[in-house]
Amino acid sequence: MTATASRVRRARALPGRGGRPPGVARPGIGWALPATLFFVLFALVPLVLVAVLSFTSWSGLGSPEFAGLDNWTTLFHDPVMIKSLWLSVLLTALGVAVQTPLSILLGVWAAGPQRNRAVLSAVFFVPLLLSATAVSVLWRALLDPNFGVPAQARWLFGDGNLLGSRTGAIGVLVLVSTWQFTPLHALIYQGAARAVPVVLYQAAAIDGAGTVRQFFHITLPQLRNAIITSVILMVVGGLTTFDTVLILTQGGPGTDTTITAFYMYQKAFKGFDFGAGAAIALLLVLVATLISLVVVRVSGYDKMAGTKDGLS
Amino acid sequence: MKIRIRLARCVAGGAALVMGLSLTACGDGGSAGGSQEFHVLVYGDAANKVEKEIVATFNKTSDVKAVLDTVPGADYQQKLQTVINTPQAPDVFFNWGGGSIQPFVKAGLLLPLDDMIKKDPGLKSNFLPSVFNTAVVDGKAYGVPMRGTQPVLLFSNRAVLADAGVQPPATWAELLTAVSRLKEKGVTPIALGGGDQWPTLMWFEYLYDRVAGPGLFEKALAGDKDAWDSPDSRKALSMLKELIDAKAFGTNYDSVKFTDGGSAALLASGKAGFELMGSWEYSTQQDASPDFAKKDLGYGAFPTVEGGKGDAAGIVGNTNNFYSVTKKTKHADAIAKFLKLMYSDAFVTSQLSIGNLPTTTTTEKHLAGAANPDYLKYQLDLVSKAPSFQLSWDQAYAPENITPIHQAVQQFFNGSLDADGFIKAMQALTTA
Repeated sequence: MTATASRVRRARALPGRGGRPPGVARPGIGWALPATLFFVLFALVPLVLVAVLSFTSWSGLGSPEFAGLDNWTTLFHDPVMIKSLWLSVLLTALGVAVQTPLSILLGVWAAGPQRNRAVLSAVFFVPLLLSATAVSVLWRALLDPNFGVPAQARWLFGDGNLLGSRTGAIGVLVLVSTWQFTPLHALIYQGAARAVPVVLYQAAAIDGAGTVRQFFHITLPQLRNAIITSVILMVVGGLTTFDTVLILTQGGPGTDTTITAFYMYQKAFKGFDFGAGAAIALLLVLVATLISLVVVRVSGYDKMAGTKDGLS
Repeated sequence: MKIRIRLARCVAGGAALVMGLSLTACGDGGSAGGSQEFHVLVYGDAANKVEKEIVATFNKTSDVKAVLDTVPGADYQQKLQTVINTPQAPDVFFNWGGGSIQPFVKAGLLLPLDDMIKKDPGLKSNFLPSVFNTAVVDGKAYGVPMRGTQPVLLFSNRAVLADAGVQPPATWAELLTAVSRLKEKGVTPIALGGGDQWPTLMWFEYLYDRVAGPGLFEKALAGDKDAWDSPDSRKALSMLKELIDAKAFGTNYDSVKFTDGGSAALLASGKAGFELMGSWEYSTQQDASPDFAKKDLGYGAFPTVEGGKGDAAGIVGNTNNFYSVTKKTKHADAIAKFLKLMYSDAFVTSQLSIGNLPTTTTTEKHLAGAANPDYLKYQLDLVSKAPSFQLSWDQAYAPENITPIHQAVQQFFNGSLDADGFIKAMQALTTA
């Protein structure tokens, strides 16, 4: 890891190495126009509307009334709000910790030339094709304490009170999102692992490195950019998880799995307090942005350079 | 390179927004449009069978067609509130009368039915007045009863009780004895869909009613927060605690739901002895386990509490459900004809066939011909003799209190709130 990093740094010092080769024109601004337009229309405009809504009191009927900072002051004194942010971060961190190693292994394996690999990869990919709702309903039935798997394996699950206890419910949420999203991240790693030049492995083999050494000294460093991409996707996805909580736990038991996104739904659509809901949504946007920025900074993604140095 | 940071930021913000958007955009209910049809939005459950029949009957003779849209029960209220003020709003919709339609009336979204009633007095006179009046707001009628009355009953599996040598309990002490006998037999004494939270609430509603009488809750609802801290309130809580600690509900009730058939299956499969549930349990069981519904499904009133202030005949639940009409509908005349069907003989008999007890004045004469006259007669007696009919707490309070009530109830059951904590949570509810 360190060897590659220092090589990259050295490479960037040379003009023309890390950046664009001289003589190739930069693409015009026109390319970005359609996407920018959609982004403004479907992301920025609603974001501004939500921000405005967060300063009002609105039940969904009639027109919103201006309420000043009311929603925000209540929010910052709301223990459930603070707990929900903490829970969102916890679930996200657990998701990253569990899914990253699994998907790297699966992705690297799927990038190889083994027999039956294509068939098995397709099978592993199935969970991603199902909607989160279908996945949640499926797991809910599977984990039913009296008629599902826990009833058949009491030695492992005890009374099967998985969704009704704090640790159990959090564990199930992590398990279900892992089951569903590992294929996506494995796909990212599969692509990245395929891009690793074969000569590196050939050279390593000549030097006497075994499979394990090759994995840690060639594959993993070469996957660095893919890891960052995948982690950012997991962070954003984790912080905004909603459907699995809605169907599996309803934020319960009590408020033990009331993550921020679900709390927003509860306030806005169950309590009919859309102003408070908007404030929570905006806060979530801020937190998600902040965490993404931290990930980008810490990982050095913003200074990212090619991984092909030393090859030519 | 700076562009990359901005991109990440946008991805983050965008994703959060997309989620928010897809939530608000989830209204795909019926739209009246310009076509010759009107949409009827109903709570989706086993009782939809009758609603489908009624719509089919209506469409046979009408040029303007009715279209039935069902929304899964747990999401019904949210869905309704989000679509009712939009072009996708239904023409006719299911509700609980009273408090549940008051905000819509205030916002001027509902059509008063008085003109329809003037043309066809039967729209009012064919229903029991006490029930019809639940949907009268500020002296104007806004709804017509459309299902059955729904008292909460203590259901049981007769085979399981017989096997354990237990009689349906008439008193609280008998219930505790039954619980310990059933436990010895290795079955969960009482099935509870704690994952849905509202089934748990029913235990509070009945115990408070039996211990303190209906007055305590009425006072609390009117704004008297001290009512929650009264000795009666604490006594009801301590009795509940005793029942929970006796493992009457087993230990995994919060992982079980009623809405996905979990708790009902426990009762039907003989893994549990009792279930406290609204009268719709009968149609639910008939739908999911017809054999059990026919042979072993027992029912009875909630046990009396020795020394309690409440009347042993008091009940809790819902008086009935109603159809209300939105003001923007273009087919008021056709809808008037549709609502007429709610007191037709065909309607009464098909409601009776699924175990629902319609609240029309003609119900009693159809009872004898029904498939399950005993159950219906029992309900009718119970409802007509009840000195009080307590509306479910989560529907009696304003909607913003539903979540806090459900959370407090669940947390008291699983032990994360003690009596003081529960009382504090109830005192924090907003009152009129």
